[in-house]
Amino acid sequence: MGTDNDIKPERVSDWNQESPLALLIVENQRLVYSLALRLTGNSAAADDITQETFISAWKHLKGFRGESSLKTWLLRIATNKVRSYWRWKKLRSWVGLGQKDDEENSPALEDILPDRPEDRPDQVALCADMERRVQAAINTLPPRQREVAVLRAQEFSMGEIAATLGMAEGTVKAHWFEARKRLEGLLGEYL
Amino acid sequence: MKDDEKEIKLVSLLAVRRSDAFWARQRAQIMAAATKKHGSARAWLLAPAAVAVAIMAIVLARGPRLPQMEEQQLVSTAFIESLDLLEDLDVLEVVPEREL
Repeated sequence: MGTDNDIKPERVSDWNQESPLALLIVENQRLVYSLALRLTGNSAAADDITQETFISAWKHLKGFRGESSLKTWLLRIATNKVRSYWRWKKLRSWVGLGQKDDEENSPALEDILPDRPEDRPDQVALCADMERRVQAAINTLPPRQREVAVLRAQEFSMGEIAATLGMAEGTVKAHWFEARKRLEGLLGEYL
Repeated sequence: MKDDEKEIKLVSLLAVRRSDAFWARQRAQIMAAATKKHGSARAWLLAPAAVAVAIMAIVLARGPRLPQMEEQQLVSTAFIESLDLLEDLDVLEVVPEREL
């Protein structure tokens, strides 16, 4: 991984300009957005959570002393924001204001394919279908298994996942074992 | 297929892929938002407050409205005073106390 290789906490905490923020975003944007998207299954919410995570982190960076890695710290903030999002969704549904996620919360097709999708419409459709099925499979996991699986998808080690989620490493392994079994069953055709 | 290979393939399948244009656009949006504001206006960030308000509304609607006025007033004032702190809740939860 090493996404924060170039950003040492002690350096970052001294920065107070826009360019270091840009560097912080460039280094960790994919990580934070991927986590938010996979945990919410909603691209609009994932965008909001990514934005709020960086703004919160930037605002509190001076208080960060590097006892955990910057990457872990960012992902813990993002995870807490995802949990707030779910609490909010639950509340809305409880008071009868909930709405089903519809197409407008799905990612735009041109965003899914990395390069020149207009040249390969068949591939766009395949990618979009796979994306939907992967997300649907992840959505079937219980919350803790989902968090572990999403961090594993970022190629985090078991130790890093344990540090990010505040779990014992053995618990992480057990969750990953169960999640993997289920995901392999649901996505077997792609494996 | 070996178990390790299968795991690598699954991990790769779960990864989120987006175009370079998407990342650039998102980066620009975050930078713009960061320079515009230091706080946050997302409604769902106030979920804990909203839960408290909903519970309070139900209690007030259902319960007898007899001599509890003073106590309710105290709860409401404390609640309103704590609203400013909620914005930072997600960060405060992960920053060790001595770092604050």
